[in-house]
Amino acid sequence: MAKRKDLSIEFCGVKCENPFFLSSSPVGSNYDMCKKALESGWGGICYKTVGYWIPQECSPRFDATRKEGTPFVGFKNMEMISDKPTEKNLEMMAKLKRDYPDKVLIASIMGENEEEWTKLAKAVTETGADIIECNFSCPQMTTHSMGSDVGTNTELVEKYSAAVRRGTHLPVLAKMTPNITTMEISARAAIKGGATGIAAINTIKSITEVDLDNFTCLPIVNGKSSISGYSGKAVKPVALRFIAQMAKDQQLKGIPISGMGGIETWEDAVEFLLVGASNLQVTTSIMQYGYRIVEDMISGMSYWMEEKGINQLSDIVGAALPNIVPAENIERDFKVYPKYDHEKCIGCGRCYISCYDGGHQAIDWDGDKRKPMLNEEKCVGCGLCWIVCPVEKCVTPDKPKFHSFGTPRDINVIAKRL
Amino acid sequence: MKGKDYLSEAKKAYSPLNAIEEAARCLLCHDAPCSKACPAGTNPEKFIRSIRFRNVKGAVETIRTANILGAACARVCPYDKLCEEACSRTGIDRPIDIGGLQRYAMDFERASGMKVLEAPAAALEKVAVIGSGPAGLAAAAGLALKGYKVTVFEAREQAGGWLTYGIVPARLPQDVVDYEVQYVKDLGVEFRMNTRVGKDVTLAALEAEGFEAFCVTVGLQGSATLDIPGLALSGVTTAAAFLAEAKPSCGALQVPSDVVVVGGGDVAMDCATTAKELGAKKVTIVYRRTVEEMPANKAELEYANKLGVSILPSFKPVEVIGENGAVKAFKAVGLDWLDRNTSVEVPESSIQLKAGLVIQAIGQTAEDVSFAGLGANSKGLAAADAETGKTSIGNVFAAGDIVNGGKTVVEAVARGKASAEAIDAYLSSVRESKATDKEVAAQKEGVR
Repeated sequence: MAKRKDLSIEFCGVKCENPFFLSSSPVGSNYDMCKKALESGWGGICYKTVGYWIPQECSPRFDATRKEGTPFVGFKNMEMISDKPTEKNLEMMAKLKRDYPDKVLIASIMGENEEEWTKLAKAVTETGADIIECNFSCPQMTTHSMGSDVGTNTELVEKYSAAVRRGTHLPVLAKMTPNITTMEISARAAIKGGATGIAAINTIKSITEVDLDNFTCLPIVNGKSSISGYSGKAVKPVALRFIAQMAKDQQLKGIPISGMGGIETWEDAVEFLLVGASNLQVTTSIMQYGYRIVEDMISGMSYWMEEKGINQLSDIVGAALPNIVPAENIERDFKVYPKYDHEKCIGCGRCYISCYDGGHQAIDWDGDKRKPMLNEEKCVGCGLCWIVCPVEKCVTPDKPKFHSFGTPRDINVIAKRL
Repeated sequence: MKGKDYLSEAKKAYSPLNAIEEAARCLLCHDAPCSKACPAGTNPEKFIRSIRFRNVKGAVETIRTANILGAACARVCPYDKLCEEACSRTGIDRPIDIGGLQRYAMDFERASGMKVLEAPAAALEKVAVIGSGPAGLAAAAGLALKGYKVTVFEAREQAGGWLTYGIVPARLPQDVVDYEVQYVKDLGVEFRMNTRVGKDVTLAALEAEGFEAFCVTVGLQGSATLDIPGLALSGVTTAAAFLAEAKPSCGALQVPSDVVVVGGGDVAMDCATTAKELGAKKVTIVYRRTVEEMPANKAELEYANKLGVSILPSFKPVEVIGENGAVKAFKAVGLDWLDRNTSVEVPESSIQLKAGLVIQAIGQTAEDVSFAGLGANSKGLAAADAETGKTSIGNVFAAGDIVNGGKTVVEAVARGKASAEAIDAYLSSVRESKATDKEVAAQKEGVR
């Protein structure tokens, strides 16, 4: 029997059995779906956004960015908030909380004006929800008084956060849009208005592809299409960046963050924790593979904690932040040369091509033996060669060298300390 | 069922996504060993890269420009001994399925009706190509693309040579051969069927008809035979005769339940799988050497195994036993190989197999090339330059199996292409010297 670590973590003062939650989206649209998810092991659910405004959805409404030989890497979605009657959603939320009292329910809401936001906050508080999430960020709303048009307007973010605060005693999350230059400004406004924490990121406005026969983007809805939110593995780097920046912001210090954007595996999940999230939300990979993916998130994270001797997840929240510094603080004297393992090398020459065409012509190609030879004079240590090498551990970073003034620095990661 | 299995292609084709997925496995090597390993210069590195970057038409262009039999080669090439053997990916797991990708591109070409090659108006000299096998087709296409008036002379009813009369449909469906023959016809090449040069028409008569150069690509039509008692019995045949009867019958040929095939090459495999697919219950391949030494493609050997063909390596044929003039059994004796060239018989391993049909697949013999005035070497092969096909007679060239003794389809294509170049060089020089003579004559005329 495999040992299971205690993955529980407190978020906004609420104890969660694990940090894995469904995010507000199609995957948490009704009671039966949420029930199945919770029974699969998810720690909680951010129920699909409810509002008094009921959308009219289009068909088809999804598209994906594909890459050879892999499942899709990015996902485009045109769906808006829940299209079920508000009362019906409130009922289902209440039933969920009744039937699964130990699981955590986040109620996502979206109003059109202050009055609605307050009213919605009151209504969902009555369902027994544990946390409220304000959806300031859906990028494909058909009304401009809602969604990411709100999230990019700091005044509205503050005003609506305050309106929600007036309607509830529960912790309040403000869900941020990434369709903005600096997320900290909106996040500060939300906190100023009365929000407890931040959820990020919502989807990125996108055109995934343009149809070459019909000259429109996809999906094509009766001949036309529109820009809408992009999610999935492809957005993970963007999500990590926004979260890390907020987590490092002095004015947002200690503010809880629910992180999301491309989480597929336990490793992705750990990364979000390391840059400062203490709760995690997932949609796209569930749409692709189903609720069952949480099993390997739980198991994989447990094994990793065991391996690293980590006993509680809260210990690693934000642990990577001290090592993420502004570009001006990066050591410029440090150089890592590549090492070529000629035993492992299969002679494809990809390192040679990339170094010539995209680097510094620092590899000499031995055409007879089909092996790369490093020209240290020319090599700048950029690392392109070990990134393009298709053979595992064939081209690797060698020991670093300092040119003149640098001194080795011990890397402060928890993994190394323990 | 029987006919269907015999006629349907054994290997599954790629779907577009699967093809791109397989192409994405390609490491896109700097010095692509696969491309270096293709005799015909089909350039897998380039066409796989085209498929990988979603330019299937570009892939078709690369293949077709290099190889007039791209679709046939995609199916019958010994990839495991050529490009795929050279594939760098083997160092990680397994080679790229280059044959499969080539077939994907060629199937796309056919399905979309794409035409890469167009011949200019045939304004140059008349050239006769004798034999319509792979070398002949490649030479004819190469010449037509340069603007020559080309006629292919074929002794049989159908064009394609060994492609049509030898290789089994499970490996190479006839419609693929017909498609590529049509491609050559579309380049303006004329075909005169049922015309054996040297018998139905002489070379001299063709010269009188205006043909200025000849390319002899008559191949190896005859079969080598064993030297054991009982070969005169009915039910003893040769690979070439058996396959040439089976393929045009479209699977209707009757075979007895017990068949013995002697040999270890692709042709032996083709005979064995054909016999099996035509309904034989037990097919046994008897081969003198070890399985490792079998010249057959790995894929062909695997396919024979899959069909349940038994293989008896290190056995030497001893006698075909008959009853009332027909084959009844086949006798062989075990061999113990001391080294590559030395073996001793093992009498304890004598076996006798029930047999209603014994097929000798131990090699082909060369056609007589004296009709073209060509000398033959000790193996009966045409005396010609192995690369260019030049012979001792200025306007006669030879290419393919008749020169190299029977290699692969792709090798024959390569040699056909090369001889087209050599013929072009020859006729161009003749043309130039004629022009110079005329000029000189005109000058002399002027001086007078």
